[in-house]
Amino acid sequence: MTLPAALANLAQWALLLALAPLLRGLIQRAKARAQNRRGASLWRPYAELAKLLRKQDLVPDSASPVFRAAPLAALAATLVAAALVPVLWPAALLASSGDFLVLVGLLALARLALLLGAWDSGSAFAGMGASREAMVSALAEAPLLLGLLAVAILAGSASLAGMAHWTLTQTFATFSPVHALAASALVLVALAEAGRIPVDNPATHLELTMIHEAMVLEYSGPSLALLELAAALKLTLLLALLAALFFPWGMAPAPTPARLALALLLFLFKLALGAAAIALVESTLAKLRMYQVPAFLGLASALAFLAVASTSLTR
Amino acid sequence: MALALAAFLLALLLLPLLAPLANRPRLCAVPSALLVLALLAGAALAARALSTGAPATLDLSAWSPVAQAAPFAFTLTLDRLGAFFLLLLCAAAAPVALYAHAYLQRHYAGWRRAVLWALLPLFLLSMALVLAASTGFAFFFGWELMTLLSAAAMLLDGDSPERRHNTYIYLVMMHAAAACVLAAFLLFLSRAPALDFASLRAAAAAMPPALRNVAFALALLGFGAKAGLVPVHLWLPKAHPIAPTPVSALMSGVMLKTAVYGMLRFGFDLLGPGPAAWGYALIAAGAVSGVLGVLYALGENDLKRLLAYSSIENLGIIFLALGAALVLQAHHAPVWAALALLAALLHSFNHALFKSLLFLGAGAVGDATHTVALSELGGLQRRMPFTGALVLLGCLALVGLPLTNGFVGEWLAFRGFLAGAAAGAPVLPLLAGVLALIGGLSAACFANLYGAAFLGRPRSPAAAAAVEAPRTMRAGMAALAALCLLVGIAPGFLLRPLARLAAGLLPGAPPLLPAPAAALAVLLPRLALALALAAAAALALRSRRSLGARRSPTWACGQPALTPRMQYTAAAFSEPLRTVFARVYRADRRLELLPQGEAWFPAAVAYHSIRTTSFERSFYRPAVQAIVNFARRLGRLQTGNVQMYLASIFLALIALLVLMRLA
Repeated sequence: MTLPAALANLAQWALLLALAPLLRGLIQRAKARAQNRRGASLWRPYAELAKLLRKQDLVPDSASPVFRAAPLAALAATLVAAALVPVLWPAALLASSGDFLVLVGLLALARLALLLGAWDSGSAFAGMGASREAMVSALAEAPLLLGLLAVAILAGSASLAGMAHWTLTQTFATFSPVHALAASALVLVALAEAGRIPVDNPATHLELTMIHEAMVLEYSGPSLALLELAAALKLTLLLALLAALFFPWGMAPAPTPARLALALLLFLFKLALGAAAIALVESTLAKLRMYQVPAFLGLASALAFLAVASTSLTR
Repeated sequence: MALALAAFLLALLLLPLLAPLANRPRLCAVPSALLVLALLAGAALAARALSTGAPATLDLSAWSPVAQAAPFAFTLTLDRLGAFFLLLLCAAAAPVALYAHAYLQRHYAGWRRAVLWALLPLFLLSMALVLAASTGFAFFFGWELMTLLSAAAMLLDGDSPERRHNTYIYLVMMHAAAACVLAAFLLFLSRAPALDFASLRAAAAAMPPALRNVAFALALLGFGAKAGLVPVHLWLPKAHPIAPTPVSALMSGVMLKTAVYGMLRFGFDLLGPGPAAWGYALIAAGAVSGVLGVLYALGENDLKRLLAYSSIENLGIIFLALGAALVLQAHHAPVWAALALLAALLHSFNHALFKSLLFLGAGAVGDATHTVALSELGGLQRRMPFTGALVLLGCLALVGLPLTNGFVGEWLAFRGFLAGAAAGAPVLPLLAGVLALIGGLSAACFANLYGAAFLGRPRSPAAAAAVEAPRTMRAGMAALAALCLLVGIAPGFLLRPLARLAAGLLPGAPPLLPAPAAALAVLLPRLALALALAAAAALALRSRRSLGARRSPTWACGQPALTPRMQYTAAAFSEPLRTVFARVYRADRRLELLPQGEAWFPAAVAYHSIRTTSFERSFYRPAVQAIVNFARRLGRLQTGNVQMYLASIFLALIALLVLMRLA
């Protein structure tokens, strides 16, 4: 890896981390606008993180060290997962053959840390949230992997960077239906993975409906800040992943400053579009009933299955 | 080499003589220490045989009068395949033997302890015989001994009717399986001069395809039953939990692998890599076992039975990868077939490590709390921090998360499936979805296991009073956990000799590490470093400006105090997934309002849930009933009239003569 390449990789990783709270602010602002409210400042999520980090950490009296280790593990795994996603140009810090499997593994590690942290709080709410999260994530794993696999087969490459590079060389005329199937499957999975409507509602603390918020109910102060950051980073990296696999146009072919700057602008634009889309979905759709979620993920699985199955037809 | 093998086997054979020392206060550590030493020496021997590939041969026929007849030759040859599985055996069994020192001392006294210390080396010896055998007779001798010795260990633990029934089912199913394997061997008899593996290999090449298919099907049925594949898995969740903990660990971790070994020996080595249909048969069996195994594990409350069901799941994954290897080989992609075979071999090794670790952990929990019911446990991480951390690591490895050995095995399997797209086998990539589903469900299952048993508050006074396991038990578990991490972060040292082994089984595959596996071996240490750095950064971020941590009560909706009963339970945790997959469980639940007839104001509610699996109810029982009915009808022939018997013997003889004439 040359120095400019390494710097570009480091920059795009840092970019994902830096933008993660902003994306939250963007979604909240767009949601407010869609609902005829003015909404809070775009920068409020940063202020919230800073506030939480200055507070005292409250630990349930029956909890073991696992309770405080869980946020560390969740954030660490998400941070490393972010180093696998190509953002500004088709390469990444830890890019390697088969890295999409590592990405799925790291997201699973982060999720397991959350489940165990919830168990350790000894609260019924946290257990309820963990139980629901276990169901959603168990059913989301297969469509996530199949969707990525379909793109990998199409691109003839097993690394995320290679897939992004392949999509870059495609034009509208050569766009394959497999791409459309995989993209729609992955969008559904991303909504479920990030805990957004219609699978989970990030805005509510009503125990009957919540999943992620119930899991982290006992967390406070700096540990909560780490969890919030991990959740925001996960949403950002999922959007970046969707952009890299299906809309990479504008990525820099080589790490030159000018092209990277252009790629950055376009990436910000794509991120804003993603935020607007999420806000629109969240303002117009209701959350699904718990036992409708398997059907939702079943649809994603069917789409991903079709995507992989049709790769052999389109070759 | 041959001498070392002989010394190793002889040591295992003679160690039972020292078993009574386990009851002497001063010398009680001797059987354990010597067994660990013998197994470490065995591991060194196996590692050497695996890396050099020079087979060590030991002909024992001269020692036995019966073995001098042609089909009964008793020869042992340790080739690469056998050496790898012997390495697996020693690597998993040495820590188990260390653990057994304290465990057996605490749980058994007098003759039972001595007999168990005699059974352990003999059980290991029987498995080593299976792995080193190079004649049908030697293989079978070891195979039967393995079944009988493990059944003996199960009966040693108690004498309830249920235990006898479970042991009976184990013996019956194992002997039915052995009959299938024996039939597969005997199919060669008319074509091979002797039943040694070299002549079987030569005879198989000249066999008509139909006969090869029959031999493969018999081997799959026999070894599949030994591996606990669905639907011939019934014995596994009954037998594994009732054996003494070290034996449970060896049965799940090592004995099931002899079935994988047998499948590799028959399907790949003797019959040669076969048509794609064989691969698809293995894949179907593996996929069904993998998904059903993990679903049954998810619904289980008994810690040891949960682990037994999860063994079915893991053997399913191994068979999926084995099938993918056969399919890829049939599609003339030996390089990718080698990758899939590597996945199967590595996952076998991994499963031996983490499943033994988890069984030992379950034993330590049972030792500390006198129960293995998840509904009675909780809060053990604070009371048994060392055991808890090791069990957590075992769970992470079983789920296949990065930096554990489980991840490496599943990663290789995924890459093997992905390769199917380029090799012209479009079904294989779809299997990635099956494997991902299994992975997702097992994450839920083991989050449930660890969370319910080790986190939160204790659900019973026994769990509240638990104390940490003794030192040798912890040491045994720690050794297994360290191996899990080592293979998970730096798998190259194991993958390189395995690649040479895979190349020997798949004609056309180069004896080099496949490129994707090499890339992974480079990536993993970096990933470990990155994760460590990220965790350190997160820790720094949290502690830099914070005011530290303070203990406070858990929020209980304003109630004065949270009781353990207000926690979530393991059954509640798995409820959503059990509802989604209700068709698989077909749970038989009954709610009774007491006193009876009181519909609106019951004094109590009784809840029964019957935990027999739907297989037992809708597959085995009707089959057994049909056989019993048929036998009863056949029993009418038994009139007690001698003339009738003579007539039927005469008729049978005539029929046989006619048949011989026609054939």
